[in-house]
Amino acid sequence: MPLAKEPQVSTVLSRQALVADLGRLVTPQQVLDDDENQRPFECDGLAVYKQMPWITVIPNTSEQVQDILAYCYKQRIPVVVRGAGTGLCAGATPHASGVLLVMTRFDQILSIDADLAQARVQPGVRNLALSQAAEPMGLYYAPDPSSQIACTIGGNVAENSGGVHCLKYGLTVNNLLAVTLVTMEGELVTFGGPGYETPGMDLVALMAGSEGLLGVIVEATVRLLPRAEKVQVLMAAFAAVTDAGDAVADLVGSGVIPAGLEMMDKLAIVAAEDFVKVGYPTDAEALLICELDGTEAEVAQQLEAVKTCFNHCGATSIRVAKDAQEAARLWLGRKSAFPAVGRISPDYYCMDGTIPRSQVGKVLTRIGELSTHYGLPVVNVFHAGDGNLHPLILFDDAKSGDLEKAEALGGDILTLCVDVGGTITGEHGVGLEKLSHMPYQFSDQELAQFRGIKLAFDSHELLNPGKAIPTLKYCQEYRSIQHD
Amino acid sequence: MTDMTSVLQDQVRVAADTGAGLNIVGAGTKTGLGRAAQGQTLSLLEHKGVISYSPTELVIQVRSGTTVTELNSILAEQKQRLVFDPPVFNDQATIGGSVAANQSGSSRPWVGGVRDSLLGVGLINGTGEHLHFGGQVMKNVAGFDVSRCQVGAMGTLGVITEVSLKVLPQYEADATLVFAASVADALQMMPQYMQRNLPVTSVCYWQGKLYVRLQGSTAGVDSIVSAGDGSVLAQDAAIALWHQLREYKLLDATTEQVLWRSNVAATDALVMCTDDCLLNWAGSQRWQLLPADQAGPEQAIQFMGGDRQGEVNGELNSVARQLQGRLKKAFDPHSVFNSGRLYSWM
Repeated sequence: MPLAKEPQVSTVLSRQALVADLGRLVTPQQVLDDDENQRPFECDGLAVYKQMPWITVIPNTSEQVQDILAYCYKQRIPVVVRGAGTGLCAGATPHASGVLLVMTRFDQILSIDADLAQARVQPGVRNLALSQAAEPMGLYYAPDPSSQIACTIGGNVAENSGGVHCLKYGLTVNNLLAVTLVTMEGELVTFGGPGYETPGMDLVALMAGSEGLLGVIVEATVRLLPRAEKVQVLMAAFAAVTDAGDAVADLVGSGVIPAGLEMMDKLAIVAAEDFVKVGYPTDAEALLICELDGTEAEVAQQLEAVKTCFNHCGATSIRVAKDAQEAARLWLGRKSAFPAVGRISPDYYCMDGTIPRSQVGKVLTRIGELSTHYGLPVVNVFHAGDGNLHPLILFDDAKSGDLEKAEALGGDILTLCVDVGGTITGEHGVGLEKLSHMPYQFSDQELAQFRGIKLAFDSHELLNPGKAIPTLKYCQEYRSIQHD
Repeated sequence: MTDMTSVLQDQVRVAADTGAGLNIVGAGTKTGLGRAAQGQTLSLLEHKGVISYSPTELVIQVRSGTTVTELNSILAEQKQRLVFDPPVFNDQATIGGSVAANQSGSSRPWVGGVRDSLLGVGLINGTGEHLHFGGQVMKNVAGFDVSRCQVGAMGTLGVITEVSLKVLPQYEADATLVFAASVADALQMMPQYMQRNLPVTSVCYWQGKLYVRLQGSTAGVDSIVSAGDGSVLAQDAAIALWHQLREYKLLDATTEQVLWRSNVAATDALVMCTDDCLLNWAGSQRWQLLPADQAGPEQAIQFMGGDRQGEVNGELNSVARQLQGRLKKAFDPHSVFNSGRLYSWM
């Protein structure tokens, strides 16, 4: 694994002294320093990156977070924030000589205001729990990452998480109205508000996707959406991935914006069908799952447009869910795709590039060639509507060299995404994982500008150091390797 | 259709070297917003034209000096539109200025504002470097969101050279319902339009009436209209209303009359909700015209009119001020851009 070069951090305090000091700021029970209790925190959802925390603190209140950060700032101790640990870019990997701040006790929904269609939540509230709590009011929280049963809003804000409904309803940033955070210096500050906008630069947006580098989120205000009167799901099979890719571009270009538009390739279809048996056509080369929502009248009109478009693009079969149960089953296959792949391969590595929709066919073809070249199968499951690919590279960590091959193949896929006008990450974030690909997407001057922003918030680079934004020295080393 | 980037970069470098301040100006339609401008004019008016537009990708990339009107007409040829519907200010407003001044239209609560359409920017920073952030794809989380940070910054962080915007297909149908209502009634009626999934794109209160704009598919709009709530406003009256609202013409600010704006929780019954107020965004954006010698309402910003030397955008607390000051320095270390335009101290 390419580990980041972390800034030199010196601390004159021993772990024992630090534990004692932190124990006084919170309670001794909220401070962990033994291996057994800290083991669950050694990695996030990208488990190939592991690092035991030095010290873990589990605060209860914003005041405690302020005290801990002010103390760590004074002592120049790095701080890494962790929510539910479901992130997929090693953004919450602990620091070997830092404090890991675990925010899971901030799990309160502070208010749901049905009239405003807004909720104020603590960062440790689970994504799905918010939608469940809003359900009786006919509202829900739109961003729905696959991990929504476990992932928390704080982490969603930090990573600017997406999900299957981004095409119509946006990412976290598009549903975020206000953020309260604690700065590294221990100060509490709120950006944004319930009135949608505040004067001046948009710092709410800057916080979204800042990967724990700028502050510790202690509260968020998000907008909730009314449940649609009608939801309709349909599935279309295609004899070629390029046909399905064209259907996606044609549909969106024709003016229909589905609530969700997902694509699976043959390997994914077969794996999912073997796993959950939802009736996917296993002879198809590609499958599109399309969800439409709105009023009855709107959905009926859209459904006809979608069927016409898919037929025009050569769909070999179209299945419209008859009821909510069948719709749920069609979704189940897609949502089970990752665990389904887990059954057919000892390990898999999930990529997250985004590309222009028109490049889908070209990029999938090239991924197929790369897969052959490296000798590792690649399963493609992705948010086709917004061009966000999730190629799953199958490998076996027990086989010597397999992980390195998977990483090299993954790297080639990411550079391919940038080459066709896309990005190395659509919704998972950079973390440690994609640090070495940042210089491919950004110039040294752009990276220096990012670093300037980091320093404006965290002058000693103590918050989540060594992640998301590579240092210029790191970039120079990376570029010299690429040129060798 | 000229790319003036390198000329603009040179001008910025000279200013940075000589310590001169620059005042970034497109067509000058936002001169009356923010605090009074100072410094030498850096004109973006000639830096215009479409860089790329692919209707099926729903993205257009344009130079910042392109006018909103021109952009609207290019999109209309493909039956598409800007999502956030900014004012056109007599067809003069540029897209760069609309982004910098955060000109989100009436549909903000339902379809999003400037920030929600903005996918990427080209930016000249205070040392004359031309940088690109974001891009042309819908989902992009690599690096900090520098693009959206420009929204509302009034050019204090750099010169926006180009923007990539998400666009959408034009609505098939458009209708406006009108209800007689006091301001108190309106506050009661407005939340339902946030709570129900309807093809609603604007809800405003003005002079004893609540107006609800429906836009979407023909089937969707017709089904609401035929339900029979309220009366349907005649099409020319509706066009005029939404146009005047978008162009800030319902309440006309002058040197003697200040237009105040506040953004609050839509249900707030204490802030700026007297009968003479204009309530937009289903109640969360409020407007009031007051004589210049009268103190403004609490929580309001001095949006247009009156003396522009004071702190028109309100005060920030010390933490927010310190962070924004440092952020400004990170982009513009020599304080070249738009000094004092946002706050007196920046």
